[in-house]
Amino acid sequence: MSAPPFVELRHISKYFAKVIANQDVSLQIRKGEVLALLGENGAGKSTIMKVLYGLYKAEEGQILIDGEEKVIHTPKDAMKLGIAMIQQHFALVQAHTVTENIILGLVHGRFDITHYDKIVAELAASHGFDVDPTAVVSELPVGVQQKVEILKALYQNAQLLIMDEPTAVLTPQESDVLMNFVHQNTRAGKAVVFITHKLREVMEVADHIVVMRAGKVVGDLRKEETNEIELSKLMVGREIHDRTYVEDAVFESQPVGLALQNVSIRDPKENIFRIKNISFQVHKGEILGIAGVSGNGQSSLCDAISGYRRLTEGKILLNGQDITEQTARERIERGIGYVPSDRQRFGLILSMKLTENMFLKSSFEDTWVKHALIDRKRLDAYTAEKIRAYAVKATGPDAVARSLSGGNQQKVILAREVDRGSEVIIFDQPTRGLDLGAIEHVHRTILDEKKKGKAIVMISTELSEIFGLSDRIAVIYKGEILGIYRNHDLDTHKIGLLMAGYTAETR
Amino acid sequence: MAVLAGLTVSGLLLLFLGENPLAAMGTLFGSLFRDSYTFADVFVKATPLMFTALAFAFTFQANLFNIGAQGQFYIGAMTAVGCSLLLQGKMPGLLVLVISAVLTILFGGLWGGLVGWLKARFNANEFLVSMMSTYVALNLMNYLLRTFLMEAKGEYPQTDALDSAVWLQTIIPGTRLHTGFILAVLSCIGIWVLLYKTPLGFRIRAVGQGKDAAEMAGINYKTLYVVAFFVSGALAAFGGFTEVNGVQHMLVQGFNPDVGVAGIGIAILANGNPIGIIFAAILFGALKVGGTIMGQLSGIPSSITELMLGSVMVFVILAYYVREKLEDRREKTRLKKAVSV
Repeated sequence: MSAPPFVELRHISKYFAKVIANQDVSLQIRKGEVLALLGENGAGKSTIMKVLYGLYKAEEGQILIDGEEKVIHTPKDAMKLGIAMIQQHFALVQAHTVTENIILGLVHGRFDITHYDKIVAELAASHGFDVDPTAVVSELPVGVQQKVEILKALYQNAQLLIMDEPTAVLTPQESDVLMNFVHQNTRAGKAVVFITHKLREVMEVADHIVVMRAGKVVGDLRKEETNEIELSKLMVGREIHDRTYVEDAVFESQPVGLALQNVSIRDPKENIFRIKNISFQVHKGEILGIAGVSGNGQSSLCDAISGYRRLTEGKILLNGQDITEQTARERIERGIGYVPSDRQRFGLILSMKLTENMFLKSSFEDTWVKHALIDRKRLDAYTAEKIRAYAVKATGPDAVARSLSGGNQQKVILAREVDRGSEVIIFDQPTRGLDLGAIEHVHRTILDEKKKGKAIVMISTELSEIFGLSDRIAVIYKGEILGIYRNHDLDTHKIGLLMAGYTAETR
Repeated sequence: MAVLAGLTVSGLLLLFLGENPLAAMGTLFGSLFRDSYTFADVFVKATPLMFTALAFAFTFQANLFNIGAQGQFYIGAMTAVGCSLLLQGKMPGLLVLVISAVLTILFGGLWGGLVGWLKARFNANEFLVSMMSTYVALNLMNYLLRTFLMEAKGEYPQTDALDSAVWLQTIIPGTRLHTGFILAVLSCIGIWVLLYKTPLGFRIRAVGQGKDAAEMAGINYKTLYVVAFFVSGALAAFGGFTEVNGVQHMLVQGFNPDVGVAGIGIAILANGNPIGIIFAAILFGALKVGGTIMGQLSGIPSSITELMLGSVMVFVILAYYVREKLEDRREKTRLKKAVSV
C-alpha cells in the first residue's frame, strides 16, 4: 500500500537522567489493525506511547500523522489529532457519574444532563457495553470502569486507541470481552495499540507486533510470521516458559504455621468491612496463593497479619500461639516477614542508604549495637553480603535506595524480609513491574524459603504466578475468601469465575 | 560560593544608600579583629544561636517543625534565673549551676514535649502550636518579671543580678566568652552523634524520611514525636540557661528577642547538619557583631546585617536547586554521548 500509515514514529529517543528509556525507536501504526507493543517491564513501551500522547517530550525524532510531521506538546494536542490513551491507572473522577466523566471538559454553559445520558447510552449499546450512564463511577467494578475509559475515547471519536496493560485489572472472562471489543474496533477502521508483557495476549489480539527490549526495537513482524517462542526470544534473549507447579503433598502433614480465624477489619470512617470473616491455615513448608483482582481486600489482609492494623474481630495464631494483640514490632520479632506491594512507600525509605534500609527492622536489637552506637562496620558487611547473594545492581551498601531500579529495590526488600521472616513470610504482588530476570529470581527465592519450612502467603494478580507456585489457592473477592482449593483442582476458567464473585452456589 | 553571592547582593543594596559597599564590608569584617573582646564576642553571640538552631534541626530530622524555640529559650531562662536566685549563697556555685542546668533541660523538654504529645495524640499542627507556645512563654516571663522574679528595688521588670558565684566561668580573660560556648559546641557534636550514630537517632530520621515504611517496620512514630520535641525544647531552653548565667547574669524583659528565628535560619543554612550549625552560627555571630560596629562607625543602619543574612540564605537554598538541575543535565549529556559513540 502506498498510503502513509496513520501514525509513524521516526527515530525517537527519550532520556531520563541516568536512563535511556527509548533509543532510536521507529514504528508505524495503521488503521484497521491492532499493533501489539510487546516487551518486559522496563523495556520502554509505555514511554514511547507517552511520547506520542504528549506526556513526554522526546530528545530526538519525529512524529508523523498521515504523512505530515506534527508537534505534540500536550495530551490535548494528541486528542485533537484523534489519539486517545487509556492508562493502567484510570483517569476517572470517582465521585462523578459515567456521563459526567465522559463529557468532562467538552461541554460548556448550561445543558441538560439527560440529553447526554441518552447519547452515552446509545454509544455504549452500539459497542455491546452494559453500562448505566447515571451510575457513579466509584460504585462500578474495575472492569466496567475500564469500559467507561474506553467510552470516553470513543465519544471523542478517537481514531487511535492506546491501551497500556489493560488486562492487569481484569478477570480472565473480562479480558475476553475486552479482546472482542478490540477486534470490533479495528474492523470498524480504527487503530489500536495494545501494550503488554503477556505473550499469550499478543498472539490472541495482535495483527502486527513490535517487540522492544532495553529501550530499542528488536522485532517488527506480522503475527502470522511468528510464534510465542520466537517472541519470547526477542523479548528477553532466550526462551521463557511459564513455571510449572511441582506437586507437593508433604506439607499437609506439617504443623500449621499461620492461622487466621474469622478475621475482620472494619473501616470506622466509611463503615464497611475491608475484610470479613477470613479463615485459613498455612502449614509450614506450604505456599498459599491468594488470587483476586486488585482492590478486593488484599492490602487489608496484609495489614491484619503484619500488625499494621488492629482487627475488629477474629484471631491470628502463629505456631499455635495467639498473636492478635501483638504490635507490628512484636510480630517482626516473632519472625513474620512481609514484602509489601507498595514497595516504595512501605518497604523502603528511598532517601536512605541500603545499609540503613536493611537496618530498618533491626534497630531495636542488640546485635547491631556496640557501646550504644550502631555497629556500622558490621551492618555494612552484612549489607554487602546480601548485595552479592541477591545480585543486586548497586554501587555498594552506601547506595541510596532511590538510585536502584524497581527490580533491585525489590531484591533488597526480599533479602531483608527473608532474613527476618523466620516463621512466616507474606508476599504481596512480589513481581509486579519487574523484568523477567528479577521475576525468576523472586520465584526462586520464594521456593527456597518454602523448602526451609516457612509458612508462605503469596498474594498476586498474575494467574501464571499463582498456578506456578501455590500448593493451595484461595480467592479473595470483596474482602472475603470464596474458597480454598488444591492447585490441581482449579483452572483458569474456574478461578476467573471466583475472582468475579461467582461461587459454586451462585453459579 | 552561595554565601559570597548573598553578601554581594546585599553589598549592591548598600550602593543605593550612597555608600561604598567594599569599604563597608571591610569595616564589618575588619572590626572583628580589632581587639580580643570583639573577636570573642562573635562566639558569645553564636552560643545561644547554636542551641536554638539545634532545636529546630533536631525536630526537622523527624519532619517536624518546632517554631517555638524562642519560647523554650525563655522557659529555660526563667528556670535558670529562678533556680540561681533561689539557691545562690546557700550552696556552692558549681552545684547551683548543675542543678539549674538539669532543671532547665527538664522544664524546657516538658514545654516542648507537650507540643510533641499534642501532635502525636491529636495530630495537631505542630508548626502552629509551637509558634503559639512562644507567646505563652513570653507572657509568662513578663508576668513573673513583675511579680515573683522582680528585683528588690521594684523599678524595672527585671530580676536582681546573679551572684558572681553562679556565673558561668569566663574562658578568656578580658572577654565575655564563657563556658557556655564550649557546652554549645559539645552539644552540636553530641546531637550529631545521637542522630547519625545511635539507633534512636536512626529511628527519628527514619520517621522523618519515610513514616509509612518506619511504621511498617514496627517503629512507633508517636512516641518519637514526643521524644523529638522533648529534646528540641531542652536544647533551646539550655540556650536560655547559657545566656542568663553566662552573659546577662540576670533576666531582663525582652532580651534576645530574635534568637529563635535566627536559629531557624542557621539550621536551614547548615542544611540541618549539627556540625554545620557550629559554623553557620559563628557566621551569624560575626555578621551581628560586625554589623553593629559598622553601624556605629559608618552610619549605615545596622539592619543591613539582616539583609545580608537573608540574602545569603536565599542563595544557599537556590544553590541546592541549581546544583541538582545541573547534575541532571550533565547525566543526560553523558548518556547522549555514550549512545552516539
